[in-house]
Amino acid sequence: MQGTSSGIGYGLKYQARCISDVKADTDHTSFLTGTLSLKEENEVHLIRLSSGGNELICEGLFSHPNEIWDLASCPFDQRIFSTVYSTGEAYGAAIWQIPELYGELNSPQLERITSLDAHVGKIKCVLWWPSGRNDKLISIDEETLFLWSLDCSKKVAQVQSQESAGMLHNLSGGAWDPHDMNAVAAISESATQFWDLRTMKKTNSIERAHIRNIDYNPKKKHILVTAEDESGIHIWDLRKPKVPIQELPGHAHWTWAVKCNPEQDRLILSAGTDSTVNLWLASPSTSDEFTAESLLDSPTRRIDPLLSSYSDYEDSVYGIAWSSREPWIFASLSYDGRVVVETVKPLLSKK
Amino acid sequence: MGVDDVPLDDKAKRMRDLLSSFYSPDPSMSSPDTTSSSSKRTTLDDINSSSFDPDQYMNLLVQKSNLERLLQRHVEMAAEIKNLDTDLQMLVYENYNKFISATDTIKRMNSNIVGMESNMEQLLEKIMSVQSRSDGVNTSLFEKREHVEKLHRTRNLLRKVQFIYDLPARLGKCIKSEAYADAVRFYTGAMPIFKAYGDSSFQDCKRASEEAMAIIIKNLEGKLFSDSESIQTRAEAAVLLKKLDFPMESLKARLLDKLAQSLADLQLNTEEISNASVDPKDLSQEEKSQLIKLSQGVVTKHFEAIEEYVKKRICSTELLHVLRIIWTDVLLMDEVLDEAALPNYSLEAAKVAVKQYVASTFSRLLHDISDSLTRVHVKQKEGMREYSLQTALEASKKAVLQGSMDVLLDFRQIIEDNLELLVQLKPLIIDLVQEGFQDFFGALDDHFLLLSGGNNSVSQDQGFVEGTQVDKAFAGLVLVLAQLSVFIEQTAIPKITEEIAASFSGGGARGYEHGPAFVPGEICRIFRSAGEKFLHLYVNMRTQRISLLLKKRFTTPNWVKHKEPREVHMFVDLFLQELEATGCEVKQILPEGLRRHRRNDSNGSTNSSRSNPLREEKLSRSSTQRARSQLLETHLAKLFKQKIEIFTKVEYTQESVVTTVVKLCLKSLQEFVRLQTFNRSGFQQIQLDIQFLRTPVKEIVEDQAVIDFLLDEVIVNASERCLDPIPLEPPILDRLIQAKLAKTRDQNPVTP
Repeated sequence: MQGTSSGIGYGLKYQARCISDVKADTDHTSFLTGTLSLKEENEVHLIRLSSGGNELICEGLFSHPNEIWDLASCPFDQRIFSTVYSTGEAYGAAIWQIPELYGELNSPQLERITSLDAHVGKIKCVLWWPSGRNDKLISIDEETLFLWSLDCSKKVAQVQSQESAGMLHNLSGGAWDPHDMNAVAAISESATQFWDLRTMKKTNSIERAHIRNIDYNPKKKHILVTAEDESGIHIWDLRKPKVPIQELPGHAHWTWAVKCNPEQDRLILSAGTDSTVNLWLASPSTSDEFTAESLLDSPTRRIDPLLSSYSDYEDSVYGIAWSSREPWIFASLSYDGRVVVETVKPLLSKK
Repeated sequence: MGVDDVPLDDKAKRMRDLLSSFYSPDPSMSSPDTTSSSSKRTTLDDINSSSFDPDQYMNLLVQKSNLERLLQRHVEMAAEIKNLDTDLQMLVYENYNKFISATDTIKRMNSNIVGMESNMEQLLEKIMSVQSRSDGVNTSLFEKREHVEKLHRTRNLLRKVQFIYDLPARLGKCIKSEAYADAVRFYTGAMPIFKAYGDSSFQDCKRASEEAMAIIIKNLEGKLFSDSESIQTRAEAAVLLKKLDFPMESLKARLLDKLAQSLADLQLNTEEISNASVDPKDLSQEEKSQLIKLSQGVVTKHFEAIEEYVKKRICSTELLHVLRIIWTDVLLMDEVLDEAALPNYSLEAAKVAVKQYVASTFSRLLHDISDSLTRVHVKQKEGMREYSLQTALEASKKAVLQGSMDVLLDFRQIIEDNLELLVQLKPLIIDLVQEGFQDFFGALDDHFLLLSGGNNSVSQDQGFVEGTQVDKAFAGLVLVLAQLSVFIEQTAIPKITEEIAASFSGGGARGYEHGPAFVPGEICRIFRSAGEKFLHLYVNMRTQRISLLLKKRFTTPNWVKHKEPREVHMFVDLFLQELEATGCEVKQILPEGLRRHRRNDSNGSTNSSRSNPLREEKLSRSSTQRARSQLLETHLAKLFKQKIEIFTKVEYTQESVVTTVVKLCLKSLQEFVRLQTFNRSGFQQIQLDIQFLRTPVKEIVEDQAVIDFLLDEVIVNASERCLDPIPLEPPILDRLIQAKLAKTRDQNPVTP
């Protein structure tokens, strides 16, 4: 089960939590990552996988004013991305533009397109709609959900609507449904809430506590995956929010992040605080025909869903990202600032 | 500073802080004599100290500061004083407000009560009048009632006399219509009266009825001994006779004689058939088939009876006995009627019966085991401690092993019997038993899962446990299940396998291509994985509780505005309490492991890292000297260290489980720390808490190096997330820890 270390490494200077696939870059496989250092000057790295696929090249190195807690690349413009940052006491979020490089590395100034200033609480994340061009943006803080309309050319972002999830819910993150521009999921302390952006009302919820991370399956509607502190990974069908379709054991400690593969709907990647990244193959019963019989005959063919476990990390892994250009490649980021890019191709061909 | 324009809720919070600090037990504890000890470290907070010397403070300030700073200080202080003033005013105002409202309430209560008294008096008066009236009614009606009662009594008496006089006629009528039951009832009813007055007034009546009764008794006796009557009527007759105090002994003896005779008749019956049909060929086809049908009917009836019998709890000897009786009958009949193929027919029927017997035996065994397990459950729920986990484990262990051994013994009796029927069935029984065990352990595994509540996908077809199922299994039960699984894998299965090999080998009735039905390897595998799963589940359940505790601890306070640490935070107590509870449960169930000092025997890479001189030196130093240089050291040590294996496999020992729980919790602690940003005091608080945890936690774990590493990691991470990471001075740290220790000692002086 131990994955052979075929990974390509890249080191950041400081500790880091977040890494994002640059989806809009169709010519290269690139990732964006930002550091998390309270006292040093933080950096955003634009990393590109060399054409041979055996080296990680730093394409751009930009200084960022504060430590970065969340980073997301714009899915339709490779030069735009969002960050959530903290000054130690207060939180903020901003949209940035990478300046034209013309082949030089020494242009460290990021251009701030706009700041998302309406927040009062701790901002948790900024979401882009994953499936294409959309002038909307979602940001989530501890209590409130904001819908922004963003105009990059005019460099303004306006609050279109906002709704409070309630004082005690303590939102901690979320995901935007790639199949439905108006549906978003937000994780709170005791449940996952589903919101309709047109009415800004709650439509549904999964009553389950301690969820850390959530990801929609980009290939199958209604299917989503959650990661939990102690009890691993669950796959849900939104039409049956009471009981998960499948459970995966997760990690030896907390499961911090999950990501569905952009092409293979059964492949799931998870990162944990036990310093490992696990690759799972969900059972095919995640189809629409999920019924009781799939449960009944499952004991006879109980195959281990764990395809591979990458344990070559020194610290907790908080960031993972599939490449959407080459969907058999993923990047992972451990807290000590090490980026490792791995390919799962040899495992897939075996299947 | 901008104290003037703080928002209102900030002010309120500040006020609360002030109040809480005022009421806290020993405010001088945190910074007892900083002013006198070091002139350098004078901060604003010292004003709050009890030993504050204003003159000295002024002198110091004037000497040290230039005009600008003094002015600034002045402004700051003015602002603060103003602030305190408003706080004070607000508090007074609020107190006054509350006082006024309390007075109002009391006034209102007073007026309400005054009105009530008159009402009560009125009520009392009315009740009195009602009572006197009811007494009046009672007395006026008393006389009439007496009279009515007297009349009624006379009438009853008359009716009885009438009945006695009518009795002989009535009995005669009963004899005619054969309603003996009624007759007996009448007679016994009248008996006491006859006994009292039979010699005087009712003499004639008595004689007449006795005569009638003699006839009845005779009739009944006749009924009892006549074969033509149905069994039911005969039984009725016997009961009636008994009611009439008829001498039962002689009756019984006669009846038994009669029964023996009829039994002989029955046996003869079969022989009669043979006698009657000396040459069965003589019989017509029709008659023969009728006979066959009849005999098969008899056999089926027999086996149906057995099935009924099996449903009750019987042991194999009883089953054998019954089978033997049937078999002799069958053989007898077979002699006469070999066309009926009765032996084959009964063989088939016996197969079914045996199968059922085996199945019911196993289901009963499963039930017993689950009973012994759920008993813990129920008892624990009722809060009874005496039924400890240990006894539950022992009981269920015994239920498993003893139960299966008993079952095997039972089956062996069946197999070793030389009854022809069973000899033919032997391979089948062997297969059945093997299969039975295989299925039984599968079912047991499912049942365990259900009990643990860990898997909601277990299908609901195990109807018999649904009543006992509870949504949330408690942790102790899961631990019992884990250890029981190990016991089954390591002790029960080998023993059973041995037993099966000794006396149940060579089944093969269902063909060898399937291999033997009982595959101990597979069952062992199932239970090994089940045991591991339960152990993990247990660890998870325990850590989850502690995680929740830690989460509350770390998400509630505002760490950036944390106050200077005064004492070890109480979450440490809760944490240790949870660990103690875990340890207590674990001690009951799991064996004690060899206490290994992993620092010396761990595998290659990690070994070198742990025994680096820096670390050893640090460990050997007294804790008081440690704090200051610790940060640097841990950073350095980390550089030289290879990756430490935190998440090793859990083993079935007390220490391993507790250590795993501790490790997971400390890791969680580290992760929570990483999510926060601390000011200096917040960091110092963490430092203090962790330092305090160090000793008690290390006492209960087996791998101290890893725990040290994790605790250091927490401090390092806190310092990384701290805006101003200056650790507490070692003496202060030490004093705070000593104070905490003293406090714990005071609270429970019994435990040293």
